[in-house]
Amino acid sequence: METPPYNYAIVRSFIVWSILWGVVAVLVGVLISFQLVEPALNLPPYLTYGRLRPLHTNAGIYGWGIGSFFALFYYMVQRLCRTPLWSDGLARFQLWLFNATIITAAVTLLLGYTTSKEYHELEWPVDIMVVVLWVVFSVNIIMTIVRRREEQMYISLWYMMAALVGVAVLYLVNAAEVPVSLFKSYSAYAGTNDANVQWWFGHNAVAMVLTAPPLAVFYYFLPKSTGVPIFSHRISIIAFWSLVFMYLWTGAHHLLWTPVPDWVQTLAMAFSIMLIAPSWGSVFNGYLSMNGQWHQMRENYLVKFLILGITFYGLQTLQGPSQAIRTFSAFIHYTEWVPGHVHMGAMGWVSMVLFAAIYYLVPRLYDRELYSIPLANLHFWLVLIGQLVYSVSMWIAGLQQAGMWHALNSDGSLTYTFMETLVEMYPYWWIRAIGGVIYLAGVLVFIYNLVRTARSGKPAADAVAA
Amino acid sequence: MDWASVLYLGVTGGLLAVFILIVLRTCGKRNRSRLEEPKHRMLDDD
Repeated sequence: METPPYNYAIVRSFIVWSILWGVVAVLVGVLISFQLVEPALNLPPYLTYGRLRPLHTNAGIYGWGIGSFFALFYYMVQRLCRTPLWSDGLARFQLWLFNATIITAAVTLLLGYTTSKEYHELEWPVDIMVVVLWVVFSVNIIMTIVRRREEQMYISLWYMMAALVGVAVLYLVNAAEVPVSLFKSYSAYAGTNDANVQWWFGHNAVAMVLTAPPLAVFYYFLPKSTGVPIFSHRISIIAFWSLVFMYLWTGAHHLLWTPVPDWVQTLAMAFSIMLIAPSWGSVFNGYLSMNGQWHQMRENYLVKFLILGITFYGLQTLQGPSQAIRTFSAFIHYTEWVPGHVHMGAMGWVSMVLFAAIYYLVPRLYDRELYSIPLANLHFWLVLIGQLVYSVSMWIAGLQQAGMWHALNSDGSLTYTFMETLVEMYPYWWIRAIGGVIYLAGVLVFIYNLVRTARSGKPAADAVAA
Repeated sequence: MDWASVLYLGVTGGLLAVFILIVLRTCGKRNRSRLEEPKHRMLDDD
């Protein structure tokens, strides 16, 4: 069969920009981790923790995460549908709009313009840019799928479509707001309803941005990297529909012990526990796909990233439902345990899978052999150690913090003041900051390896001949 | 039970029914080999 003229230029461009925003996210993350232990590093009004923290999360989730998914979706959809993109022009427009949106978001957040909704801080003009961006992307992907030359759709395409539809619905509903000036608006919802909608959005953003797209990537790049198919396509389909059916009910587990109706909290708790099944369906499918191939964990650096990534997904989807149980939530909610959990997902699961996919693609997109496999292995160990240092230190800190908050004297008064519990956090915050520096070093090794590959890597044809 | 609750339960039940149908169809012997084909086809695109 003749190979269609796939558009790889847009894939390359999105990879470059997403990595740039990824570096911004990690750099700002490291900076704010040091600001917590050294308050003099806060430079008011623009470079304080309060303004930099949303810049860190937005650059990480929307710049690095979604930027990479734009690249990888455009690559996968063409290959899986065996047809070129529906519109190259629309994709180029999307690239410019993406960068304009991220830059506008960064500037407005540093200027202090925020809705104050976590993970949805952007004010209404930026919201409009995000919506246009997503519509353009969705139309291009869906129209490409409509024109596919493959009768059946591989599981990655299902996850991609779920992400497109899911993000659109979540973002539009949570963005309902009343503008009162160019950069100020108020939510269309009030009180408890506002909180409920916000965390319906917040937790399902985890589903539709940080679960469905990385699973699409994992299901595509694991078999591509090992050379053998996934264990069961049917299990992946059942896991997909289970995930889609169950996820949208779980947001209220962020609001346990609040004025949100008790039955809503219980429903969210029950569905959160049920989610273990589809999540681990994908984890087992990944592990069973390695039957007879486990030696590749030693020999193939891509497999290391992917298998550690899916392992962290498995751990994340056990820890998350545990946290959704009322009694456990009462203990660890609002403590340092939570950032430990979130960063295992972001630095372990999502980023590990993205690193593997980008390592797989860059040599093919530039028609070069990877510059250095030892450097890729060094990158792997640095980000693994950095992430573990971060998460484990925060889990221990969270347990100590929770224990101190809950400690009571015999007369029922609190054993510790809040300031005493805060001072106890300093050693852990130092360790977390060091973990961030190790992770940043890994990311810099990754970028160096990719730049050398693109600029001076051995041409792939020569490498084959040799 | 008010109409909002009836609607809520109805939508939930409807979604559950659709989900069960998808699972039954996916697990059925009739579709077994056909539904496994994409995992082999995706490796042939290079």
